[in-house]
Amino acid sequence: MKRRTIGRLLALAAAAGIAAAPALAQMPAWETELYEAAKKEKEFTVYTAHYNTEEAANLCSAFEKKYPGVKCNFVRTTAQVAFQRFQQDLQANKPVASLFSSTDVGHYVDLKKRGMLMTYKPNNQAKMVDSLRQYNDPDGTYTVTAAALMLITYNTSLVPEKDAPKNWPDLLDPKWKGKVSIGHPAFSGYVGTWVVLMRKLYGWDYFEKLEKNQPQIGRSVNDTVTMLNAKERWVAAGPEATTLLSRDKGNPLGVIYPTDGSLLMVSPSGIPKNAPAPNAAKLYLEFLLDKEAAETQVKSHSLSVIKGIKPAPGAKALEEIKVVRPTEDEIVKGIPEVKEKFRDTFGI
Amino acid sequence: MGTRSALGERWRHLDKSSWVWLLAIVVLLFLVVNPLFRLLLVSLQQPDSGAFTFANYLAAYGRSRYVDALGNSLVLGVSAASLCVAFGVPMAWALSRTDMPAKGLIWVSILGTFVIPPYLGAVGWILLAGPNAGWLNRFVVEVTGAQSGPFNIYSMPGLVLVVACYSFPYVFVFTKSALDLVSSEMEDAASVLGASNLRTTFSITLPLALPAILGAFILVFLEAIALFGSPALLALPGRFHVVTTQLWQFFEHPPRVGVAAAYAMPLLLITILLFWLQRRITHRKGYVALTGKGGERRPVPLGRWKWPMLAYCLAVCTLSFFMPMVVILQAALAKAWGRGFSLDNLTLNNLYFTVFENNLTQSATLNTFTYAGAASIIAIALALCVAYIVNRQLVGPRLGNVLSFLTMAPFVIPGIVLAIGFYAAYTNPPLLLYGTAWILILAFATRFLPIAFANSNAAIRSINPELEDAVRTLGGTRFTAIRRVVAPLLKRSLAGAFILVFIPATRELSAAIFLYSINTQVLSVLLFDKSDEGNFEMLASIGLILVLITVALILVGFRLMGRDFMLRRTAA
Repeated sequence: MKRRTIGRLLALAAAAGIAAAPALAQMPAWETELYEAAKKEKEFTVYTAHYNTEEAANLCSAFEKKYPGVKCNFVRTTAQVAFQRFQQDLQANKPVASLFSSTDVGHYVDLKKRGMLMTYKPNNQAKMVDSLRQYNDPDGTYTVTAAALMLITYNTSLVPEKDAPKNWPDLLDPKWKGKVSIGHPAFSGYVGTWVVLMRKLYGWDYFEKLEKNQPQIGRSVNDTVTMLNAKERWVAAGPEATTLLSRDKGNPLGVIYPTDGSLLMVSPSGIPKNAPAPNAAKLYLEFLLDKEAAETQVKSHSLSVIKGIKPAPGAKALEEIKVVRPTEDEIVKGIPEVKEKFRDTFGI
Repeated sequence: MGTRSALGERWRHLDKSSWVWLLAIVVLLFLVVNPLFRLLLVSLQQPDSGAFTFANYLAAYGRSRYVDALGNSLVLGVSAASLCVAFGVPMAWALSRTDMPAKGLIWVSILGTFVIPPYLGAVGWILLAGPNAGWLNRFVVEVTGAQSGPFNIYSMPGLVLVVACYSFPYVFVFTKSALDLVSSEMEDAASVLGASNLRTTFSITLPLALPAILGAFILVFLEAIALFGSPALLALPGRFHVVTTQLWQFFEHPPRVGVAAAYAMPLLLITILLFWLQRRITHRKGYVALTGKGGERRPVPLGRWKWPMLAYCLAVCTLSFFMPMVVILQAALAKAWGRGFSLDNLTLNNLYFTVFENNLTQSATLNTFTYAGAASIIAIALALCVAYIVNRQLVGPRLGNVLSFLTMAPFVIPGIVLAIGFYAAYTNPPLLLYGTAWILILAFATRFLPIAFANSNAAIRSINPELEDAVRTLGGTRFTAIRRVVAPLLKRSLAGAFILVFIPATRELSAAIFLYSINTQVLSVLLFDKSDEGNFEMLASIGLILVLITVALILVGFRLMGRDFMLRRTAA
């Protein structure tokens, strides 16, 4: 509680311009310019599916601390809900979102095709991890602002580390019969991309074999965390961040970075053409590619998208991990296909 | 001068109440017909051009896998509704008509059951009856030494049980309201003729409550079909689809809103069919229980059957409330719920954070209860008007049928699809409500209007029109009759209706998630986020607080309304 009070006092002080003055002095010209323009817009809203609610709130308050006078609102929800709401706003001609942050790359391909995204190449792109820059739109309508991994997760009270699966085909071992948990590609973009990747690496045969192990199929990728915690299942194809967050609380969970590669999920942000506060959105986009945001993100076990940020204990930095990712084209075309095939194989 | 007095004469004789009925019909059109009509339009339009097409219907029903899901939903609906009747009717009878002990405990448990968000209850049941690690299964393995436990919650029977556990309060409240009105004199008549208590109950008491039980059956059937949370948790791992899990997929990118709307349309036909059935069954029988001619209500002495009856009630409450509540408590009070129960794993931090530190929860709690309260009042007022119009035949029977159907229709359209209709209806002139609190309030009111209507309908049917005729014979207007006779008699049923609308409105998710905005955040959306984030400790904390606040609000509310919490009349 005390910390909050101090935080509020600091914010007050910042708002009074005491803290802001020196910060302003260090800003490069483009940043000062954006900041001044953003202050005139007063506030902005981001639709985001990138983080959990706490992390979204923390990012917003870190932004407000860095740029006093610009209020940051967020609507945190799932990718498909965010997209549906964005469409609703558009049709109602009541734009709300100044920044659109979905986890589904398909949304950006679609919005870009319909000419609904503004072109803006952030100055801070230079700070990004090299391997991530290739996923930015070369035309500058969207930029990667969040990255996460899908990997092998397990319950440490049921499985000793040495026996845990080391790579993706290890999940097919008959010793995991009735003990594997996965999500559903029709309900989760993470799982959809994972299924595309497995098909690319090992052919559809991978899922024919997986079915023999009677995996439990949940809805979202995060359902695997619940299943491992409940001890209903022992190992899973799960998310790094949510699993580690739950482990931080003391839950008996562990992650394995597969030797054949963790699935890299990149989530872009784009500024809609109808953004009510385009300058604030640009400033926030820059902020997401800067040190303060990255430090906030790694605390919640999201990966830092910029170089030189130390990951939270127990996690590895993006530069140290072997990651794999299907191409954008493979994902956009592949997900509808694998949804159908998945249903043929698993009956659901 | 002459014309003026003639006009005045006509004005004086005109039944002014007809304006109210007209107004009610207009509001109904606005709340129900408008969104449903827009939905129908969406289902018949090409997504890009808006041109007329049947392609959405072909896409929705042209594949056997989509049709299978509909079949599964029907099985789920019928089984869950039957189980609800088996749970709810005996309990309602026991609490309303007998001298069974511990009625207060049972009533609070039922109230608590109703408040638990079904999603949370379903997770509780996964922990209890998960095939591998469920507590019940481990217990059986421990005791019998069997290889594996007998229960599997990931199955159709498992899903039916969980849905029934969280829907039987509808049947309970409906039946109890009806039974509360049956006077002992009617039962005495049977007893005098030599019938046993049991026979009297089955041939007199319960048949009088039949319209209420049937109404509740339909309601629960429709609710079971429209639920998303529990099927998503239990049906997918059980490897089967129901309508709502299938619907959700139409919203995956690229969203096919038109197909989703088309897929939901035949559910309206099912509703019509159910109404027709209900009418056939209750046709031309009298269900008037409240005659105004005395009517003492004495509890039936159960004798030594007292305890078995209580055991049955407790058993149902254990399934629906006590056992899942233990799981929820354990998670809400745990640092890490995956570590199980131990002293060093206990903490109050989750609750403390939820109540005191999380601004989002605070404003969402306030919004949730305000919106639910406003929605309940609107829904009940409208439902009463419509029920009165239909039952007192103030309009022709055909129009009456259409009105009742319209009032019930919103329930069967899954909320996620109905939200599309609302959105379409309230973002176009003349009504620009998108982004305001009103769109949520009206959406909640519309969604739960059927509950209010089914309840009001049963209540008004049970009141003998002679009571109002007496007022009118003595020169009173219809309004006087309603104000002085009908309203006081209805108060008790209305308390039940309020609970039945208010509580579901506090947990409504599927429409809210598309319609809320930054300043109109509600708890159900927060709960959904927590489940989406796999944060079960926080999910359980918010759920627990929701249960505590709602139960407290209702208990205090009834105190203030001058009735005790059993919904008995404190003063005759």
